[in-house]
Amino acid sequence: MAGEARNLKVRIDHVSKVYETRNGPTEALRDVSLDICENEFICVVGPSGCGKSTLLNIIAGLQMPTSGKAYCNDHEITGTGTERGVVFQQYALFPWLTVKKNVMFALNMRGVKGAAAETEALEYLKKVDLEKFANHYPKELSGGMKQRVAIARAYAANPEVLLMDEPFGALDAQTRTQLQSELLETWEKDMKTCFFITHDVDEAILLAQKVIIMSARPGRIKEIVDIDIPYPRNQETKLLPRFMELRNHIWEQVYKEYLEVRK
Amino acid sequence: MEMTKQTAAAKRVRLPRPGRIVINAVLILCSLIWIYPIVWTIISSFKPQADFFKEQLTLFPATWTLDNYSRVWSKANFAVYFFNSVIVTVFSVLLVLIMTNMAGYVLGRYKFVGRSALMAIFLSSICIPLVSTLIPVYQIVKGMGLLGTRLGLILSGAGGAHVVFLLLFSSYYSTVPNELEEAAKIDGCGFLRTFVKVMMPLSSPISTTVIIMESLWTWNAFQLPLILTLNNPTARTLAVGLYAFKGENTVDWTGICAGGAIAMVPIIVVFIAFQKFFINGMAGAVKG
Ligand SMILES: Nc1ncnc2c1ncn2[C@@H]1O[C@H](COP(=O)(O)OP(=O)(O)O)[C@@H](O)[C@H]1O
Ligand SMILES: [Mg+2]
Repeated sequence: MAGEARNLKVRIDHVSKVYETRNGPTEALRDVSLDICENEFICVVGPSGCGKSTLLNIIAGLQMPTSGKAYCNDHEITGTGTERGVVFQQYALFPWLTVKKNVMFALNMRGVKGAAAETEALEYLKKVDLEKFANHYPKELSGGMKQRVAIARAYAANPEVLLMDEPFGALDAQTRTQLQSELLETWEKDMKTCFFITHDVDEAILLAQKVIIMSARPGRIKEIVDIDIPYPRNQETKLLPRFMELRNHIWEQVYKEYLEVRK
Repeated sequence: MEMTKQTAAAKRVRLPRPGRIVINAVLILCSLIWIYPIVWTIISSFKPQADFFKEQLTLFPATWTLDNYSRVWSKANFAVYFFNSVIVTVFSVLLVLIMTNMAGYVLGRYKFVGRSALMAIFLSSICIPLVSTLIPVYQIVKGMGLLGTRLGLILSGAGGAHVVFLLLFSSYYSTVPNELEEAAKIDGCGFLRTFVKVMMPLSSPISTTVIIMESLWTWNAFQLPLILTLNNPTARTLAVGLYAFKGENTVDWTGICAGGAIAMVPIIVVFIAFQKFFINGMAGAVKG
């Protein structure tokens, strides 16, 4: 395998997840195995409710698999860990703290305190172009700005793996495009290992080296598509013929699963 | 800040002018009637003792004096009562706040065996009339050897289940999005740190409500403090002291008014101060 030469970061080994609910058990994931290597950018697409978030939460350590195991750096994942950072779709900012203090919270937890934390927080905010809003409260920001803060915060925690659960899902098309470009630029620079969930096929192809297509519930890995479009990429990448090809293929697969859900 | 003010103003219902004037007049009249006894008490507390019956109904005395206060404060032990009230209220409120906040957090956010049963017990305890717990509480406090002590008053006041506060906290916590808690965990917060650093600030509007209501409650509590301090007048709170003061010598009406003012004014100040804070807290913490 091609990935063998690279450093393995996260390994998901025959993971299944069943939720016990009042209306009986829900099988969210069935026998999912996946390797995430260092510096890799992986996107997951699939119909909603197919278990994407569940998979991410298992890697984050927020949920435990019903069977199978997940590893990070060869250690079994039994809880959250600072080597794994998460950007949620929304709500993850502390509303009673200013933007700067939100970022400083992550830094404090990492042991950076006082004035050092403040200057570092401002640096992270500068990277997402928000240093002017350092002393604003989250409620005073637009959705796109809030999500930028959440990303700055995740970076401030300095994780080895960044887990993102539809981070741009709640944003309007224009803001989403902008944040995609920013994220792409950042990744091309620091190549931080990324596990990114989206329901937007274009977004997946634009960002990822590998797109994972998940099947309708119970979530299984249906296909892994290598995106052989070289970096650096930008919004114009979406116009390349190869992009169109990949998109048609992935879209068709996702659509089939979508129909499966409708049944 | 600017924005919330504007939207609040825009949402306020605007009545047509004549209607507004009539309603305002009625409301002002009602508040005057409502507040008159309090104003009268406070003003009477500045009347010379000898003039009290002469000037019983006049709102503004001919001469103003602080005699009543100094008399009540030093001779009638109100300095001690005041101190007791402050201590008992502060610590009761602290205890109740910590207790109901923590319990509400777990009841509102965690599923565990027996949770519903526990909730049902708490809820049904609302139906038990407070008076029926007086004797058992008295006996427990006595058994602990805390009769006639401030600690006894604090524990007996804070010791109830405070079901309403518990429900306030637990229903509030159950609506907090998981992501906030998870974000804290991702940053490396454990259970305790998540509670202290994330959940407690988040619940500050509820905490303020609890502080206001529990201070009022404890400060004005009468029955339980009365029976718990029967043997030791120096542990009395203001509410009890005021009552006892009436019977001790020939009735000192202006003294009672001064004592009443001492008992009333601090809690009104606390209420007004926290009410403002309460509204700010609501705007800051609930809207994300
Ligand atoms: N905490 C939970 N308890 C019970 N069922 C859940 C829970 N979380 C998710 N599920 C169910 O598991 C399935 C997968 O959910 P999720 O992982 O959120 O899917 P996705 O992120 O792909 O939309 C859904 O059917 C959902 O209803
Ligand atoms: Mg999801």
